[in-house]
Amino acid sequence: MIKIENLSVKVHEQNILEGVSLEIKEGEIHALLGPNASGKSTLAYAIMGFPEYEVTSGKIWLEGKDITNLPIEERAKLGIALAFQNPPSIKGVTLSTLLKTISKQTFNLKDFPISFSEILEREINVGYSGGERKFSELLQIISMKPSFVILDEFDAGLDIINLEKLTSAIQDRLICNDISILLVTHRGNILNFLEPDVAHVMLDGKIVCTMDDWRKMWRTIRRYGYEKCKEGKLSSSKQ
Amino acid sequence: MKNVRKANFLQVNNEIRRLLAEEGVIMLPSSQAYKKLKWTRDHFEQKPEEGYFIWVKKQISHPLTTCIAISSPKISQNPRNLIVIEKGVKAEVHSICNTMKKSLYGSHIGRTKVILKEQSTLQMRHFHKWERGDVVSSSIHFHLEKEAKLYHVYKCLVVPEELKTELNSFLDSSSSANIETAVLAKRGNINMYDSTFLNGEEASATIRIRMVADQDSKITSHSKLIANNAGIGHLDCMGLLLSEKSSISTVPELINKNKNATLTHEASVGRISQEALNYLRSRGLTEDGAIDFIITGFLRKTVFVYKGRVPPSKNYM
Repeated sequence: MIKIENLSVKVHEQNILEGVSLEIKEGEIHALLGPNASGKSTLAYAIMGFPEYEVTSGKIWLEGKDITNLPIEERAKLGIALAFQNPPSIKGVTLSTLLKTISKQTFNLKDFPISFSEILEREINVGYSGGERKFSELLQIISMKPSFVILDEFDAGLDIINLEKLTSAIQDRLICNDISILLVTHRGNILNFLEPDVAHVMLDGKIVCTMDDWRKMWRTIRRYGYEKCKEGKLSSSKQ
Repeated sequence: MKNVRKANFLQVNNEIRRLLAEEGVIMLPSSQAYKKLKWTRDHFEQKPEEGYFIWVKKQISHPLTTCIAISSPKISQNPRNLIVIEKGVKAEVHSICNTMKKSLYGSHIGRTKVILKEQSTLQMRHFHKWERGDVVSSSIHFHLEKEAKLYHVYKCLVVPEELKTELNSFLDSSSSANIETAVLAKRGNINMYDSTFLNGEEASATIRIRMVADQDSKITSHSKLIANNAGIGHLDCMGLLLSEKSSISTVPELINKNKNATLTHEASVGRISQEALNYLRSRGLTEDGAIDFIITGFLRKTVFVYKGRVPPSKNYM
């Protein structure tokens, strides 16, 4: 599905990622864990192709196609979708207008376990609550009919009830349709709901540990902190 | 555009081609109104030769449409228009002024006075579409009597070489005006002046101005809110700059002469945020598509009519 090969990225002349490699197969959920400023979101934006995230070496492959130098919209058309942690406001245009513009599939809001349907006729991301913002991101992503989704800190700003409902929608709409997911987070709750197949720890722009037992990894992180993962005591299993 | 009605008033160059009155509405060429209805003389600066007079005496269920177009080279138009909405009547007017071809080098100097009598309501949409080489000056004066309501949208997405607009509103007690102006300039020099006078107690006005300057254009907006009585007024001016060669100046002025009045304003001029562009591109829109999407939103409210396009005048003919 998606393969990241020895990727190094700099932002505003500062090296952020260094030699990151990662492969996510069809239908797999990978969690990318790490403290603030470890480079997790940089990897997400670099995969999406944001211009200020300059790839200095390495490659990104999507279903065998080299997408390293493709513009953002081409990557979106090929099936990559990113749920933003802090999406920008677009004044004057309603969410329903955006959905109509980008939709490759229609859906009924009644089928969702959670609904903030009133936001459809509100301006995009203007004055949304934490839950509304995430619901809006999820609706946009689902409507794009992607094959690979990046959820950047999707759990940030969500209470446990809304998190449960939204992750249930992710289960129904994405995971059940074999869509691959990269889950960027530094919290444990969302892992319980989505149960990733593989978990990685990123520190200082490098993936220092990869495991398929995310529970063991999360226990270690909770007990000893992320630095423990650097010591190599947690073995790599799926690199 | 299939649902567009034929214009009630159609003037091409300097000739009136159509005038369709409706039940409860008196429509005349301004020159005839001046001659036949002496009271109208108080509302024309001088004897008019062009333009229309509309007197809405009863409620109508659909918009009245006027269209003043230039179709031949070097035409000078001087329409003088008068619209009167009778007491308690609700009306909607669509007014279109445009040039029909490129390189006609026309001149359009339009003057319109609108009187909203007590408790009347007017929704007025005013569309302009010009070409490079045209010179346009447009002024409109609204007089709102007690408890009258005005919703006015002026939209010009294709500007002439020179455009000057003037919009003055005079509000009596408990009347309200919601005025929106949207201008998209690719080349040209645009000067806009608007003044809103809150003359009556509890009069309220909201003025929203949206300006987009692209390629080689200069837009200046002078807006005044004057509270002569205990009213509420808000002025909101925003500009988007799309090119290095363009400029936008916004000059808001609040003049409060009553301690119980509240006047506020907000203004910003900037470029489209890269963050918003990237966001929309990540949803599959091209960069140009994302810019259009943002501009459409920016010029909002005026956009929902006819799917964001100015209805071509030929649709009304």
